[in-house]
Amino acid sequence: MGFHEAGSSLAVVSPPHPNLAQVLAPSSSSTLAPARRAPAREPVRGDRLIGAYLSEQGDLSAVEQFAQFHAETAEPLQERYYSALLPAAQPGPGQQLAFEVDLERCSGCKACVAACHSLNGLDEGETWRDVGLLLGGTGALPVLQHVTSACHHCLEPACLKACPVDAYEKDPITGIVKHLDDQCFGCQYCTLACPYDVPKYQPDKGIVRKCDMCSDRLRAGEAPACVQACPHEAIRIKVVDIDEVRARAEQGAFLPAAHDPAYTFPTTQFHSIRPGDLRPADGECPTPEHGHAPLALMLVLTQLSVGGFLVELTTRLTGRADGVAGLAFLGICLVFGLLGLVASLLHLGRPLYAYRAVLGFRHSWLSREVVAFGLFAKLAVAYVGAEALFPAWLAGRPGLRLGWLALVVAAGLAGVGCSVMVYHVVRRPFWHATRSGLKFAGTAIVLGLASALACLGMARGGGIESTGGSSVDLFPALATVLALGTVAKLGFEAMEGRGARESGPLGQTAQLLQGPLRQVVGLRRLLGGAGGVLLPALAVAGGAPYGLGVSVAATLALVLATAGELLERSLFFRAVARPRMPGGLPS
Amino acid sequence: MKNGRGHRRRPVAVIDRLLGLARARDGRLTRELQRKPGGFGLGQVPTAKVPDATTGMVCGFCSTGCGLTIHLREGEAVNLTPTTDYPVNRGMACPKGWEALTVLASPDRAVSPLLRGRDGQRREVGWHEAMSTMTARFRAIQQEHGPESVAFLSTGQIATEEMALLGAVAKFGMGMVHGDGNTRQCMASAVVAYKQAFGFDAPPYTYQDLEESDCIVLIGANPCIAHPVLWERVTRNRHRPEVIVIDPRRTETAMAATLHLAVRPKSDLTLLYGVANALIEQGAIDHRYIEAHTQGFDAFARFVRRFDPETVARETGLSAESILDLAGRIARGQRVSFWWTMGVNQSHQGVKTAQAAINLALMTGNIGRPGTGANSITGQCNAMGSRLYSNTTTLLGGRDFTNSAHRAEVAELLGLPEGQIPDRPSWSYDRIIEGVRSREIRGLWVIATNPAHSWIEQTRLRESLGTLDFLVVQDMYHSTETAELADLLLPAAAWGEKEGTFINSERRIGLLKKVRRAPGQALADFHIFKLVAHYYGCGSMFNEWSSPAAVFQILKRLSAGRPCEMSGIADYHALDAARGIQWPFPRENPDASPQRRLFADGRFYHPDGRARFLFEEPRPLPESPDQEFPFLLLTGRGSAAQWHTQTRTGKSDVLRKLYPRDPYVEMNPTDAEALGLSTGRWVVVESRRGAAPVRAFVTPTVPMGQLFLPMHDGSTNRLTLSAFDPESRQPAYKACAARVRAALSSEIPDNANGSPNH
Repeated sequence: MGFHEAGSSLAVVSPPHPNLAQVLAPSSSSTLAPARRAPAREPVRGDRLIGAYLSEQGDLSAVEQFAQFHAETAEPLQERYYSALLPAAQPGPGQQLAFEVDLERCSGCKACVAACHSLNGLDEGETWRDVGLLLGGTGALPVLQHVTSACHHCLEPACLKACPVDAYEKDPITGIVKHLDDQCFGCQYCTLACPYDVPKYQPDKGIVRKCDMCSDRLRAGEAPACVQACPHEAIRIKVVDIDEVRARAEQGAFLPAAHDPAYTFPTTQFHSIRPGDLRPADGECPTPEHGHAPLALMLVLTQLSVGGFLVELTTRLTGRADGVAGLAFLGICLVFGLLGLVASLLHLGRPLYAYRAVLGFRHSWLSREVVAFGLFAKLAVAYVGAEALFPAWLAGRPGLRLGWLALVVAAGLAGVGCSVMVYHVVRRPFWHATRSGLKFAGTAIVLGLASALACLGMARGGGIESTGGSSVDLFPALATVLALGTVAKLGFEAMEGRGARESGPLGQTAQLLQGPLRQVVGLRRLLGGAGGVLLPALAVAGGAPYGLGVSVAATLALVLATAGELLERSLFFRAVARPRMPGGLPS
Repeated sequence: MKNGRGHRRRPVAVIDRLLGLARARDGRLTRELQRKPGGFGLGQVPTAKVPDATTGMVCGFCSTGCGLTIHLREGEAVNLTPTTDYPVNRGMACPKGWEALTVLASPDRAVSPLLRGRDGQRREVGWHEAMSTMTARFRAIQQEHGPESVAFLSTGQIATEEMALLGAVAKFGMGMVHGDGNTRQCMASAVVAYKQAFGFDAPPYTYQDLEESDCIVLIGANPCIAHPVLWERVTRNRHRPEVIVIDPRRTETAMAATLHLAVRPKSDLTLLYGVANALIEQGAIDHRYIEAHTQGFDAFARFVRRFDPETVARETGLSAESILDLAGRIARGQRVSFWWTMGVNQSHQGVKTAQAAINLALMTGNIGRPGTGANSITGQCNAMGSRLYSNTTTLLGGRDFTNSAHRAEVAELLGLPEGQIPDRPSWSYDRIIEGVRSREIRGLWVIATNPAHSWIEQTRLRESLGTLDFLVVQDMYHSTETAELADLLLPAAAWGEKEGTFINSERRIGLLKKVRRAPGQALADFHIFKLVAHYYGCGSMFNEWSSPAAVFQILKRLSAGRPCEMSGIADYHALDAARGIQWPFPRENPDASPQRRLFADGRFYHPDGRARFLFEEPRPLPESPDQEFPFLLLTGRGSAAQWHTQTRTGKSDVLRKLYPRDPYVEMNPTDAEALGLSTGRWVVVESRRGAAPVRAFVTPTVPMGQLFLPMHDGSTNRLTLSAFDPESRQPAYKACAARVRAALSSEIPDNANGSPNH
């Protein structure tokens, strides 16, 4: 920006501008303005006046000039207006605190959002409350309904259940769902799990933060910021009966166009919901979500690795003691798997605390995924290490060798299964276990085969010399299975692009895939087709004697197929319809 | 987690306890969000912002004039909360008020004068060079083309003391004749309506009336969004009032109304005449009041006879029953209040529409009593100060430039030779712009306003500004559309960085204080005006105008004996202690109650003490929809988080989250379907004058055949038509012909966010 320090450029008394000689003549002098300064007796020059004004501009005068009101008032003055909006007593057994919103009184001014920000000292641009918009009614009597909402302090908080580090607590008395900021390691899984888009990730802090119903204020008998600040008394704190919340949620009573309340049992009660078909004002026109590149990388590479070990095991089970290509292939599978796990660290806001990820094992699929892949990695490293260091010893014990490999595969499959569940449990139809299960398994098979093929290609092309005899003769068979698998997977994915005219989350996904993401979809198909079908076919068609061409084609096939899967996984994140409170056009 | 109450089996509890040890319940991140008692009656505040002192001041956005308690540390503002014991807002504010400090810190702040060189580039210069250049250029223009060839455009956003000093320096010192304010754009019609009807520009109400009414009639007003704290007062009304909203759109306020009349745009004048006729027909008028306190009723009664329900129904698009229903509800009310704002004022017949509301209040005797009145809700924070003391089209203190007695009075009060005071009022804003176009005006000084976004019909305005010899813009930001056109930009201190007073809609004078340091070399507008006077060689005329506090004493003198008298207010400390004081507040026997209204005695400001019934035949729209441009385009406020041209509100991340990122046009679902458009789709709205690429926002709240564009996007006024109320010269922003079509991909702005349909 580079501005002058106040007055610095004016300290040097420059000669008056020639045109100003007359201005600065004694007859047209004026006095120094600030009352607190002694009036100048001499004619004032412009530059001195400027200096005086700049220096006065730096004085903050409000405190010295004006009386301090309420200096001794410890009690909050605003209490007179909000005391009626708080519950008379603490919640008893079977009860908890909840927000109550009178929609007839919510006029859409959004003061609650700004007040929450200011009174809680949130970061620039950080907001914990949102005001959504519903439209509908009839042509004769249209309805426009703003909806203020924050955390619903659910009976069964999805955030809490999802959190792998136990950074969420539900207070046993008040029922307030509190986030422990120092415990959070920034995996953001809660932001995917909450169907109301409540936890907000703070990239510069590397953690998530959220509304705690101003629990310190409530403890002191003060109202939460939003309750204090609503000019129309639309927000109250109320004691609710847990059974009642449960019963209402099971009947589906919550808010039109919001997520099914029977998932988390939100406690916020919306009153005076106007009748008529109310729909989100954004017309459910979706915008692409975050691509979560580290997660996409982690999923694809771990699946490649597990798929590779599976191919290896299958090959061994068909009687080929040295598997696909001996140690070379095992090494490739292991390295990719470890890379995938490292990539997952990049996703964390505070990777130093990654070790905490196992804490939520009893309830969080993310913790389970971490544990399963951790086991997979350890077993695989040990196994591949043994193959490398003590090949003779291991070769002499075929039962152990096969069993160990089977264990590696089992742990890996458990990991992939956990990955499927991580996304399945957040109840986004696009991430349902049947869809993501097929996709993740598909990725494992396709990339497992593609890496085996690449390895064989290199072996055949003379690129690498395997430790044992490689199963070169499998090349055409593997290529065929790869092509079939690729076609099947691409076909399955293509089905997701249809149905753009349907309403609901899958319709929105289809709209995204056909709309803003269509170029990515096109590229993904191109890469998948080239890497999974075209290049393997070329490599096979090349026929014997196998040479450098085959080696290059097979390697390129793996690269392109992997890139294609990465794009598919990026679309997995970007094209999902994020459930949230109904809202207006994106801000 | 069945009920969160932890009746668990033992081993699990042990595991839980062990896991609990691994939980970081405290630490740097946790402490960042801790709250602590703030003292000073504030309740808990963020620990990092616990104040060591507090002070109160009024908000600097709209005319509601909310009190804000500024939390100070070492004299500097760190946070704010709305003031609980301020009689306007009772501890409430809209998002703009909450974020008032945030917008002060922005990389867009002007920190040094910027002078455009011969190469067209702006470069930083010192104040001395800036002032010398401004003086030299304006003097040269005046010498060549006459003193009137330099004019100024002022604002409703600076303190009364500042606008008075500006008006005095420009007109009494620099020899200018023409200067007008951006207040022309928001309430000129109300000013003229009041002057003609009451004899003085005097909104008669106090906000308490919103709580006392049993029938609230809102005409062209959407307080839920434009004045949320006034809507607060409606929600606190304990009389179960009728709330009647007259507005083409089904706004938030219309949603909350007991009766919403979606009139055809600009047919409100006809509707109000129809209601007057129905009231007369029903005998629901106050003959005694009319007799004792008004003039011209009989002619009015004869005039409205032709506005029978059927005729009015035809012209307004309403049903005859609903017109009679409206009249019936007014007739049944004991305390009926009529409120209007920009829907009325920004019209080709705004003055007469406002007067039609005044007529209804007069004929039913609904004025001067609690819960009544014909009440104009103003726009800007100090529009009311500007109306009385800007010295533009009216002489200081609501006086008349053409009245020699008024000139003599002001000359004596200020110790000036009478000849220094122009004997004619300034041109209005539109005439000044036309003067620029015709080269009658060659130098222009624009203060704290943004015509290159806000003035009607932008293409024409920008062409006009381009012909100027020298354009000086004084603003807190270097990046406003107008600042970027300036030959010389003067960096101004903002609200919160200087002292003075504002006057709000209910005539309450409120205080501004200095609680932040202005960035760089920015100076209070007051001191910039003092510098200009000094460099122009007329500084000595303003020796007594030494500080805002000193000017306040001068203003008190100017107000003495006028309807707007405030001579009873001792000084800023008295204003501070009283939490603002409404005018009139004379030295002799002032009434100190915090909620006061005018005309309790039925005496108006005309020499005969009577209010006037004023009326005129409604006129057709300046531009009606036709085959080529089949839609009627309305403009107005988008959300409560946005202010006018967004120069300030666009600087807060929080406020930006509260409205759609991309500009949008609201349109009816039937129209959208016919054109194959859907929400989120990029479209182009076109008029005969320009085009605006925006997203479609399909909503049943806009009637068929109409479009609504928020005024906050710079492209909106490329479409509007230069049409004005003939009496007030206020621009008619809210009705012109337009059409809409899907945008080509080349027409979608590059910075648009993840566009769903392209």
